[in-house]
Amino acid sequence: MKNRSPVKRLEPYLWMLPSMALMCVMIVIPIVTVFRLAMSKISKAGIVKGFNGLDNFKSVMASPTFSHILLNTLVWTIAVVGISTLLGFILGMVLNQPFKGRKFVRAVVVFPWATSLIIQALVWKYMLNADYGALNVLLLKLGIIKEYINWFATWQATFAWECWVGIFVTVPFVTFCVLSGLQSIDAAYYEAAEIDGANFWHKLGNITLPLVRPSLTVATVLNIIYVFNSFPIIWTMSKGAPADKTHTLVTYLYQLAFSNGKSGEAAAVSVIGFIILCICAGVYMVMTLKAEGKES
Amino acid sequence: MNKRKPFAAVCLYLFVFIVCVVTLYPYFVTFITASKSITEMYAADMTVFPKVWQWSNFVDIWSKAPVLKYLLNSIMVAGGATLLAILCGVPAAYAMARMRFRGKSFFLGAVIMSQMFAPVVLLVGIYKLMVNLSLTNSLLGLILLDAAFNQAFAIWLLRGTFLSISPDMEQAAKIDGCGTVRSLTRVLLPMAAPGIVTTLIFVFINAWNEYTIALTLISNDALKPLTVGINTFYGYNFIQWQYLFATSLFATIPVIVLFLLIEKHLVAGLTSGGVKG
Repeated sequence: MKNRSPVKRLEPYLWMLPSMALMCVMIVIPIVTVFRLAMSKISKAGIVKGFNGLDNFKSVMASPTFSHILLNTLVWTIAVVGISTLLGFILGMVLNQPFKGRKFVRAVVVFPWATSLIIQALVWKYMLNADYGALNVLLLKLGIIKEYINWFATWQATFAWECWVGIFVTVPFVTFCVLSGLQSIDAAYYEAAEIDGANFWHKLGNITLPLVRPSLTVATVLNIIYVFNSFPIIWTMSKGAPADKTHTLVTYLYQLAFSNGKSGEAAAVSVIGFIILCICAGVYMVMTLKAEGKES
Repeated sequence: MNKRKPFAAVCLYLFVFIVCVVTLYPYFVTFITASKSITEMYAADMTVFPKVWQWSNFVDIWSKAPVLKYLLNSIMVAGGATLLAILCGVPAAYAMARMRFRGKSFFLGAVIMSQMFAPVVLLVGIYKLMVNLSLTNSLLGLILLDAAFNQAFAIWLLRGTFLSISPDMEQAAKIDGCGTVRSLTRVLLPMAAPGIVTTLIFVFINAWNEYTIALTLISNDALKPLTVGINTFYGYNFIQWQYLFATSLFATIPVIVLFLLIEKHLVAGLTSGGVKG
């Protein structure tokens, strides 16, 4: 190990070169560009007209819709990740029980995970249509409702349905992460606990939860990133309408950049998004480091 | 199992039943709607099932829009991205699993952090880059981007797989005179085959389902992948849901089959790779 030739020392970097080159060009350059554009004056035609400091940020923040959109993003991320995690955890627990037809149910649960988000968003948009949607037809035929319901009557209702679709597509990932965690738990723990007279809640709190926590944490962190950055559902179902009320940061920045021709302000919204995610990542890392410190 | 109370069993089956119904309902609607005629689609007296099963929809889509083109584009983009992601990802994951070098934890951290940057938040920058490289309206552009944004996951999954295999065999091969490359291709890769197949399929599915980048970069109808192409049937004042959903089924079913094949390996890889870090 001591007298490694320069070639040997460079070898690991050469192995990583193709991957790193690809990521630098396709990810790092756009990141740098976004930061540069966020601080540039840009014409409608997309021509950079020079540095303008924090003007783009100021004009984004000055718009009254922006704080509403920030709040939406927060509600969207917390509601979708929170409810998905709870439902996914319960479903994972259930699917870990032996019962007839378990293989079938596990296969069914995979479906929403494998299907393109744009297709799922379109299906839900169709099903919830007030005039000919499949949900109204079904409920009417079953006699549950008397007349068609306008599911998108208010922006709050629209947004809630968008959250529901978000939950629908996110649950499978959590379920399978929980399942993989549960499967690694030694059955002897439960047997020992039963001998000691532990009930369901004791076992859940003292064995299951602590041992599933690592997989659950990975799932939650990844989901926060995905859901925060999730674009197709809201863009397909409402495009932020009515009156920009159902936007989240990413759909808003898309509209700014590609419908309104305001690349500079869109880049500023991107940067604000990075900062929020960086804070989340920082909190996560501090928490992980603390947890590791406790264990060792 | 034998001592489970009947009440608990009923609850379990009821819960599982509801989950299945809610999950499968959209797929049921997709199929039913794809089999309706356009007159029934907007008729006043809607029915749950079609009055007349319009199987011809599944044939008509291929002539109503360049659906075959969309399908081939999806295959090219997903296939190309998968190939590129693996060709770049395997050596990188190998170095990160088997070699010791300065800055290794920095590179691992960078790979994990890169997942924070979804294409959509970088879209303004990506668009500018692709214009400069003349890669808008190009399948190659989509391949490069999809491969890059899947590097983190590919490296993560592959490294987890490599770490789970003992390095003894490779060392034995090296003693027998194999170089690093040969010990990788002849010894490690065959043993890591399940993990590699999982990664291949996972990247393929991600690229196949990708929508945002393609929506932004591709305006030429002949170059659209399925996810963007199906919007042809979504007109401004007239939506041909039956064609849209018939095409969606062709875009969905192959991927669900692939996913079912790797489901077990994928989850094990995701969490173990992450926790081992």
